[in-house]
Amino acid sequence: MSTQEQPQTEGIQRWRFTLVLAVFALLLVVVGGRLVMLHTVEQPFLFEQGEKRTVRSEVQPATRGMITDRFGEPLAVSTPVTTLWVNPQQVDVNALSDVARMLGLNSAELKRRVSRAARQGRSFYFIKRQVQPELAERVLSKKVAGLYADNDYRRYYPAAEVTSHTLGLVNIDGQGQEGLELAFDDYLSGSEGSRQVVKDLYGNVIKQLGVKAVAEPGHNLQLTLDLRLQYLAYRELKAVVQSHKATAGSAVMLDAKTGEVLALVSQPSYNPNNRAELNPTSMRNRAIADLVEPGSTMKPFTVAAAMESGRYDANTIVDTAPGWIRVKNKAIRDHRNYGDLDLTGIITKSSNVGVSKLAQDLGPESIWTFFNHAGLGRPGTLGFPGEAVGAMPYPEQMDDLRLSTVSYGYGLSVSPLQLAEAYTSFTDGCRKPVSLLLSQVGQQPCEPVMSEDTAKQVLKMLGTVVGPKGTGQRAAVEGYQVGGKTGTAHKVGRSGYEDSEYTAVFAGVAPLSDPDLVLVVIVDEPQGKEYYGGEVAAPVFSRVMEQALRLRQVIPDAPAQDSWLQVAGGAR
Amino acid sequence: MTVGQTVLWGAVLVSAVLQLSVVTWNRELLQVWQKADAERQALAQEYSRLVLEKSTLTAHGRIDALARKRLGMQEPEHTQVFH
Repeated sequence: MSTQEQPQTEGIQRWRFTLVLAVFALLLVVVGGRLVMLHTVEQPFLFEQGEKRTVRSEVQPATRGMITDRFGEPLAVSTPVTTLWVNPQQVDVNALSDVARMLGLNSAELKRRVSRAARQGRSFYFIKRQVQPELAERVLSKKVAGLYADNDYRRYYPAAEVTSHTLGLVNIDGQGQEGLELAFDDYLSGSEGSRQVVKDLYGNVIKQLGVKAVAEPGHNLQLTLDLRLQYLAYRELKAVVQSHKATAGSAVMLDAKTGEVLALVSQPSYNPNNRAELNPTSMRNRAIADLVEPGSTMKPFTVAAAMESGRYDANTIVDTAPGWIRVKNKAIRDHRNYGDLDLTGIITKSSNVGVSKLAQDLGPESIWTFFNHAGLGRPGTLGFPGEAVGAMPYPEQMDDLRLSTVSYGYGLSVSPLQLAEAYTSFTDGCRKPVSLLLSQVGQQPCEPVMSEDTAKQVLKMLGTVVGPKGTGQRAAVEGYQVGGKTGTAHKVGRSGYEDSEYTAVFAGVAPLSDPDLVLVVIVDEPQGKEYYGGEVAAPVFSRVMEQALRLRQVIPDAPAQDSWLQVAGGAR
Repeated sequence: MTVGQTVLWGAVLVSAVLQLSVVTWNRELLQVWQKADAERQALAQEYSRLVLEKSTLTAHGRIDALARKRLGMQEPEHTQVFH
């Protein structure tokens, strides 16, 4: 190769070379300039867009705490479910018919709604919330474009209607709406976690950028309720409400020595797992929120007050003849003329005249003080939403008539729970404040109401009510000495006390030798011939008490009877 | 190039390679953690499902009905004659 062969091209060659070089240099400058632009001027925008496409902010839902009974049996449990939603902009409406069929939804309806959402420019539409995870898995396996799933929790109540009033319920977003779920919402709900992650195309986390909050599961709540006793009380209460066609009823069982609430049931009830059929009447927690006039179940307190005054003992005779007395313009009547009764007899026969005379003798001050110590007319201490505040007239509000009516349980009102709490004072003379949470048991000191000796004597009197001469014979429990007081209160209607609408009450303690349980049964407006506390509420007391004492393994304290031998002989 | 510079270059190279391997290691561990976390969640889900299933199956109302209807059981009375 020699340069002489192309001498004439040298000038052109050089020019071309320079041109190509210049073009390349220019390209380099352009690329470099663009690079600088991207890295400086457009950097924030690009960075943001990049982050948007890879960095995800993830919310980790916190599990709501369990509610259990005293033995750890679950009463309210949160279980994971899946929420299915679509982006109407991305979804092919016709592909949804399969999804609708699998989820049991109306296909045409769903399609119409999703297309409308798409027209409105929305990019989120709930297909179905709280779907069982297995079902959601199957739906998702259809790989419908634009269909997404989120993890969620749903609250289930295994004992359903048996515990529904006490526990309350949560709404679809998991916030407490009623009962304990509402009262302890913060404690139960815990806090959601949130973190920022980088995700790849397949949704796998490849980098964790930061944790804003660590998910903290809610705390568990352990109640004093005993699910076995709760079920027992519920079953018997439901049976009596149905058989007497009553409008409502409630029952409260307390530990006589500690005030722990062992059972708390109301009728009518509802199934908290089926939100579609909720109605306000059946959601009322009657054992806590309803006020009733306790009627004759107050008489033991009047008699105890009389004995505490020191002027009376169990054998003091009160003349109740002729079976009625006139106080102001009203005649207070007994069922019939009982003549001379001792204090025990007043309780056994439930003599209105007898307690009225006692109250007149004691005066309003001492009656009020005594009833107040027993917790009547005070606000409740459970901190339960809708907890009723009882009403009790002050001494200066009590004229002779009011004083008389209060002495036999009219003109004051208590919730069934308060009545049961008051009855715990007959255990040893000290009223035990009720507690519903196991962690709160025994935190409040008991309040002395009467001496231990008086309590013992009143218990003996209550025993006679269940005995052969008493008004509450049907409350008897075989093998145990039980005691209690019947009550039948006329309901207050539009024009004062109604003649034919009653509240049947029985409040009692068992066993008498060493009280273990207090049970109050209230049946509202029983229909038919039987409406007395001794006829409607006492049998429920007997049935619940019998099985509850057996379940709690309380030793029978009734003196051995020879009926055993007779039956054994008779059976051959 | 002085000795100092050579050592510095070497250190830079080594730390660069180390950084890459640490990043990779971090991602691997993240994967392991992700899997373990998913497993934990799945187990927690199963646990709550089982708790629920157990308490539904052992609900007192259900046991009561089964005992009475299917097994023909009844509550013992205080004195009872067996046939």
